[in-house]
Amino acid sequence: MTPEPGKPQGTYDEAALQRLLTEDAGLAEQGIEVTRRDGAVVLTGCVETEERRVQVAERVAECLPGDEVRNDIVVVPVQPPGEPEAIP
Amino acid sequence: MIRVAAVGDVHMDADVLGRYRPALEELPDRADVLLLAGDLTRHGTVGEARCVANEFGDLGVPVVAVLGNHDHHSDEADTVVAVLRDAGVTVLEGAGIVVECGAERLGVAGTKGFGGGFAGRCASAFGEREIKQFVRHTEESAHRLGVALRGLDCDVRVALTHYAPVPDTLVGEPPEIYPFLGSYLLGEAIDSAPTDLAVHGHAHFGSERGRTPGGVRVRNVAHPVIRQAYSVFHLGTSSEDSVPVASTTEGYP
Repeated sequence: MTPEPGKPQGTYDEAALQRLLTEDAGLAEQGIEVTRRDGAVVLTGCVETEERRVQVAERVAECLPGDEVRNDIVVVPVQPPGEPEAIP
Repeated sequence: MIRVAAVGDVHMDADVLGRYRPALEELPDRADVLLLAGDLTRHGTVGEARCVANEFGDLGVPVVAVLGNHDHHSDEADTVVAVLRDAGVTVLEGAGIVVECGAERLGVAGTKGFGGGFAGRCASAFGEREIKQFVRHTEESAHRLGVALRGLDCDVRVALTHYAPVPDTLVGEPPEIYPFLGSYLLGEAIDSAPTDLAVHGHAHFGSERGRTPGGVRVRNVAHPVIRQAYSVFHLGTSSEDSVPVASTTEGYP
């Protein structure tokens, strides 16, 4: 997804990156948001493991060389449930 | 009282194996049945399905699932279902099951569902073949869900889908993608029967609680939303102890 010379930058890159995170055979992550803040690319959302959290950030960094990537993705906890909900 | 545990979007692969097991070991003390609301796998491969079977098989309570969009990605859904069935997981698609929980009967009807959007802002079966196919897939899915729900002979009735039946539980998602997250047709099907609870997944940024226009409680149990291994719902008022047994099933087509 490295930008090609003369190709418009900005939203096109971000749109392609969003699709890549889902369509990339190694990732398949639909729950990641990619935004730009203070010149950096910020990743938010949830994944199932720390390995996946790192994988996503590495893939984004590969696609946007030279950009700072802030990885705010979290790993979803799997603790036992809290109080049950009564459904009348 | 019937105790229903539910979670969706667990996206199993080898790297997730074992994560859920500590909480699942407590499951028989907490619930009579576990519902899996689709996106059981990451890419829908047979290998990932085996991971689901390892993680969610042999839990001591019946496990009832629907597939999600991820589970179809490798075009191996039938094989994925076969692997899950071999592990004792009942996979529903436009079908229902009744689980006997002591003196009470829990009916679960399930379908993956599909998108299309919600009243006033939804796709119509008009124009290009591709858009008609999109809408008709949802229509057929919702129709089968309604038939399955109405056909259940049970005391407590639950609808299980992957896609959302109402927009309430999508709050937090960008409104632009609501048509890819669910359809009002699923809600209409749920309201066509005396449904007690509807659970779904798919919307990772959505919110937990909603209701259909007919008043049925809807819960988004996508793992990133509930942020625990599973949620538990207590349905009905009987306090009789239960020993759950899956008594009748209809399989995946």
